[in-house]
Amino acid sequence: MTATFDNLSAGDVIDGPKFAVSRESIRLFCDASLDYNPLHLDDDYMKGSFGKTNFGGIIMHGMNNFGLISRMLTDWAYPAGAIHRRLETRWVKPVRPGDTIQPSGIIKAKQTSEKSRWVLIDVMVKNQAGEKVATGEALVEFPRDLFCQ
Amino acid sequence: MAEAQTFETDFWKDANLRKVWDDIVPGEPRKTIPYTLTKEAIELYCKSVGETHPIYFDEAYARTTRYGGLIAPPSIHILLMFSCTPADDWMRSPGTVNAGQSWSYNIPARPNDVITLQARALDKFIKRERLFVVHDNVFFNQRGEVICSGRGWTIRPM
Repeated sequence: MTATFDNLSAGDVIDGPKFAVSRESIRLFCDASLDYNPLHLDDDYMKGSFGKTNFGGIIMHGMNNFGLISRMLTDWAYPAGAIHRRLETRWVKPVRPGDTIQPSGIIKAKQTSEKSRWVLIDVMVKNQAGEKVATGEALVEFPRDLFCQ
Repeated sequence: MAEAQTFETDFWKDANLRKVWDDIVPGEPRKTIPYTLTKEAIELYCKSVGETHPIYFDEAYARTTRYGGLIAPPSIHILLMFSCTPADDWMRSPGTVNAGQSWSYNIPARPNDVITLQARALDKFIKRERLFVVHDNVFFNQRGEVICSGRGWTIRPM
């Protein structure tokens, strides 16, 4: 069912699509984002330590999580005539080739301002073990002049 | 306005030219370069995160929407961050670890927009023996309209 501001309730869940992470998907993200940091490319480099952290091998870009959450939000918002307005994330666990990750959201609150209507959403990305790899919060606007697509 | 014609994908090259944590001055603007966002670049970005919505690909469909034409996904700023900065920008330093970001979206970027960036480090600090920098960014289109603004936290290589 397409979301409307009125029919949304705290606790409602948004499920995003699963995403299979591979060396190829990470390399494609390098080419698409122009972020060629060796963290995502160079296994020998990743044998080393970063301060107190050792990743043990290449890792997916944190911003790939961000892009997947954003995709989930826009795919949910566009049919409702709503607009993705804000996304805040932090990365809590590295993602590696072979992982399968999936973003999701839970409606946290609704808010009306002088000129518009807003939905706050807790977002996260989990890996195949159910571990959170990214968490955050999003804000979606439901304008009064809805333009559903 | 000169634009970068080629993109250096070897982030080790020019590494010695980049500022380390000690050199970064919060408040000091970063060097940026204008970038023309192409339909092809948008499509490649979409492919990398599995975006399939027709508003990014189908001109006839996009004309029927509130945007009146093709747009880029909001998260296109992930690409813009690297396309609007030069090879000696410290965001390219190998070993830079992204700790988190927050972005606000005003209007979408569109194919053929000439994008400019205003960016700076806003803060730097040490936490649990790690060197952090907070960076602050605003992307504009060719009409000076804000596309999006965002802040990021990175752990700097040591």
